[in-house]
Amino acid sequence: MSRLGTPKKPIILHGHERSITQIKYNRQGDLIFSCAKDPQPNVWYSLNGERLGSFKGHNGAVWSIDVNWDSTSVITASADNFCKLWDLETGRCISSLETRTAVRTCGFSYSGDLIMYTTDKTMGQNCEIHIFDVSDSSQMRSGEPLLCIPVSSTKITSAIWGPFDEYIICGHEDGEMSHYDLKTGEKILSVKDHSKQINDIQTSKDGSMLITASKDTTAKLFDTSTLRHMKTYKTERPVNSAAISPIKDHVALGGGQEAMDVTTTSTKIGKFDARFYHLVVEEEFGRVKGHFGPINSVAFHPDGKSYSSGGEDGYVRVHYFDQSYFDFKVDY
Amino acid sequence: MLGGRMAQVTEVVPIPTWRGRQRSSRRSAPTLLDTRSVYGEVQSDQSGGGWGRENSKTKGYIFLEYTIPSHAQDAVKMANGYKLDKLHTFAVNLFSDFEKFENVPKHWENPKPQPFKNVGDLKYWLQNEDCYDQYSVIYEGGEKTAIFLNSPREPTVVEERSRWTETYVRWSPQGIYLATFHMKGIALWGGEKFDQIMRFNHPGVQLIDFSPCERYVVTFSPMSANQEDAQAIIIWDIRVGQQKRAFHCDAQSAWPIFKWSHDGKYFARIGQDALSIYETPSFGLLDKKSLKIVGLRDFTWSPTDNMIAYWVPEQENVPARVTLIQVPSRKELCVRNLFNVADCKMHWQKNGDYLCVKVDRYSKLRKVEEKDQIKYSGLYYNFELFRIREKQIPVDKVECKENVLAFAWEPTGHKFAYIHGESPRISVTFYVLRPGGKVDLIKCLERRTANHLFWSPTGQFILLAGLRNMNGVLEFVDTGDMTVMAQTEHFMATDVEWDSTGRFVVSAVSWWGHKVDNAYWLWSFQGRLLSKHPLDRFCQLLWRPRPPSLLSVEQIKEIKKNIKKYSSQFEVVDRLRQSNVSTELLKKRKQLMSEYEKYRDDKREEYAANKDRRLHMRRGVDTDDMDEEEMDEEVVEFLLKVEEIIEE
Repeated sequence: MSRLGTPKKPIILHGHERSITQIKYNRQGDLIFSCAKDPQPNVWYSLNGERLGSFKGHNGAVWSIDVNWDSTSVITASADNFCKLWDLETGRCISSLETRTAVRTCGFSYSGDLIMYTTDKTMGQNCEIHIFDVSDSSQMRSGEPLLCIPVSSTKITSAIWGPFDEYIICGHEDGEMSHYDLKTGEKILSVKDHSKQINDIQTSKDGSMLITASKDTTAKLFDTSTLRHMKTYKTERPVNSAAISPIKDHVALGGGQEAMDVTTTSTKIGKFDARFYHLVVEEEFGRVKGHFGPINSVAFHPDGKSYSSGGEDGYVRVHYFDQSYFDFKVDY
Repeated sequence: MLGGRMAQVTEVVPIPTWRGRQRSSRRSAPTLLDTRSVYGEVQSDQSGGGWGRENSKTKGYIFLEYTIPSHAQDAVKMANGYKLDKLHTFAVNLFSDFEKFENVPKHWENPKPQPFKNVGDLKYWLQNEDCYDQYSVIYEGGEKTAIFLNSPREPTVVEERSRWTETYVRWSPQGIYLATFHMKGIALWGGEKFDQIMRFNHPGVQLIDFSPCERYVVTFSPMSANQEDAQAIIIWDIRVGQQKRAFHCDAQSAWPIFKWSHDGKYFARIGQDALSIYETPSFGLLDKKSLKIVGLRDFTWSPTDNMIAYWVPEQENVPARVTLIQVPSRKELCVRNLFNVADCKMHWQKNGDYLCVKVDRYSKLRKVEEKDQIKYSGLYYNFELFRIREKQIPVDKVECKENVLAFAWEPTGHKFAYIHGESPRISVTFYVLRPGGKVDLIKCLERRTANHLFWSPTGQFILLAGLRNMNGVLEFVDTGDMTVMAQTEHFMATDVEWDSTGRFVVSAVSWWGHKVDNAYWLWSFQGRLLSKHPLDRFCQLLWRPRPPSLLSVEQIKEIKKNIKKYSSQFEVVDRLRQSNVSTELLKKRKQLMSEYEKYRDDKREEYAANKDRRLHMRRGVDTDDMDEEEMDEEVVEFLLKVEEIIEE
């Protein structure tokens, strides 16, 4: 294990008052979207860290954010019981979809025509998956979803679209992974390879594989369509987020412990690190320190030459890899 | 027995009984004595005989009945053999004893020989070719105990058992036995397969102590107070498995209550104003009496000679003093008077060459009358250094103004180190003793975070550790030239253990002390982190000790001189071993990579087959590969320079 060097100093994005909940790159890679436990998600230029703007309108923590494939719209999921749709060019809120409980996850489908979001199981309400057709403006106005799928398993803690707008891939509080089919509204696949809550799910560039990050201190690689468990990456702390490199056989893991769970913290500054593993042989080969608190979200730039991490400390750090990262090879 | 040993014996036979009895009003107390002080509260006297007077003399025996059996037993213990006066001694027995002694079988049968239990070679582990050491690990909150071999790269499991012990484990001082604790007593395990060698029945056992020679083990159970025939402290012969002697435990003393001499010939404990030294194998008091020392506070044995050091605090006008005596002769080898002493602590160097007595001295003393306490103020500290090997044992003194937190001798050398001061200004100071009465300050390392000192068992190297509330700061120092080899940390470390050869040291975060990040880390003696071993609820790691080397001092010197010859051999073996491990790892990796490649090929095919679908979903825009993004090339012209050429 070595300390991965990054040639330029990392770019630090400071625009949030509270801990970061999720970060995302757009498909072209020139923008980074960040949301946090404060009500204002931000969007930044990934090249120099300059802030493009903020999305004003929510009244509570924002748990999730996503951008569509042609970078025209953004959606956000918030604890204020709204899922909001925004116009990226103007920053204006186009639609506000009200729910009965906090909205936990959200995402644009591959085509960008459909959006999904999931709600929390609280106050006697069930956890639900809502599907809307954003191209249908009357539906958006009415607030009535195209499809509403009740979830009988433990609540959904992470969810993404499958590759062809056909199913939603969900991670649950007890470690279960499932597929929910859009045509029938039924759960069509279910596996349990994790023993604790799934914190994050991200796919590979072509969507054929996905990686899960779990509170049970591991991250696992699955085949997307069958949910066949292929690889496990082990750590000693809960994993909050995991991502697959778009150009190399690498995965990045970010984690730590929630502030509430830790009774004492190390006095050494910036102790929390992002860890890099070789995807196939499951061996760790590098770490990048810097965050002052646990890392809650990691994402690779679509060109694979840099990555970003969002932490409990409220900062987003953008790191460009140095030559040693690209030169690293596993002997076999 | 009736009809005593001497003339005019007054005999009392207490009878344990549960039935209540009325006190006899006829308690004509004998003129000679008040029995209550000797026999305790008596329920009644079953005076068949007893107090009745005949010929103006007592009958010579009485029967006493107690409500609680243990009172009767206590009465036997207290009064049997009690010298009333020069001519009269009490002989006291339990009533049940009569039956017991009457029914002694007429025929003596020789005890049958037990079949010989072959436990194999108990020292097998010393013959490990590569001299890997073993260590025990308790984890999963105490559920699992495992023995590992400290092989390079990864430890090898030698043995792993669930619920092997109910609390913790202890190795015997020379490493032959592993002791485990259970409700009913302790068990000793050893040999190549860790078979059970012996077990000792002592319900509720909590603490044990081995004699240094490993012939005896002392067990302590606080439970066994009121049960018949049960005792708090039992000493066992390990080989035979027999109880040798049992003792009561009265005062709240520190464990081990019995301290052994280095060769196991003697063991001793503090009594009230006395030092009781027992000898083995008879287990009786040396010279049949304790050594009377008024005010005795503490004593320690030399680790290499049959010598005891003890100290007595100041009384009235007599100063405190530290005394060294020879055992068994009890000859005083050295006495040192000390003035203004609040407390003393003794530290022997491992080779028995030096004894350090840390003396807390006060400048002011105040007696708190109500609580019968003494309060000291203005404390300062001295180290009294006894040079045991020199004639007449000269004593040198080193002063320290600050509060001393820890002290440790270099195990086989002439140096010592101590931690002093208050946080945040804590320092570690090193001294060396040179012949001719010279005690030289080597160095004082200032502003350190340390609360424990761990010398390597072979000397020269020391680990300064700030454990527990100091968050696991570790500093490795070479005292040969006082260089700091490494400054590092094992966050929240609770324990440090050197292996017996001084090559490796383990820092550990025990689940018993800290509920997360439980793991042990292996370091080289230079402070290089070799490996980390997180284990679910890891509790304890103990290196297996080694018996002292069979080589003489000259032989060891010879080997050290020719170390280069040996090290080249070892290097060859090491390199070979590295490549072996590598080939295995490489093979495994190769397999994983080829499996993955096959999987990826399938996925690539699928992906290619679905291209049209993807194009359709994104309105004909091909978003598959970033390189094929439409890029507009723009040519921008900048005006760089304007040059005017003037032709003449």
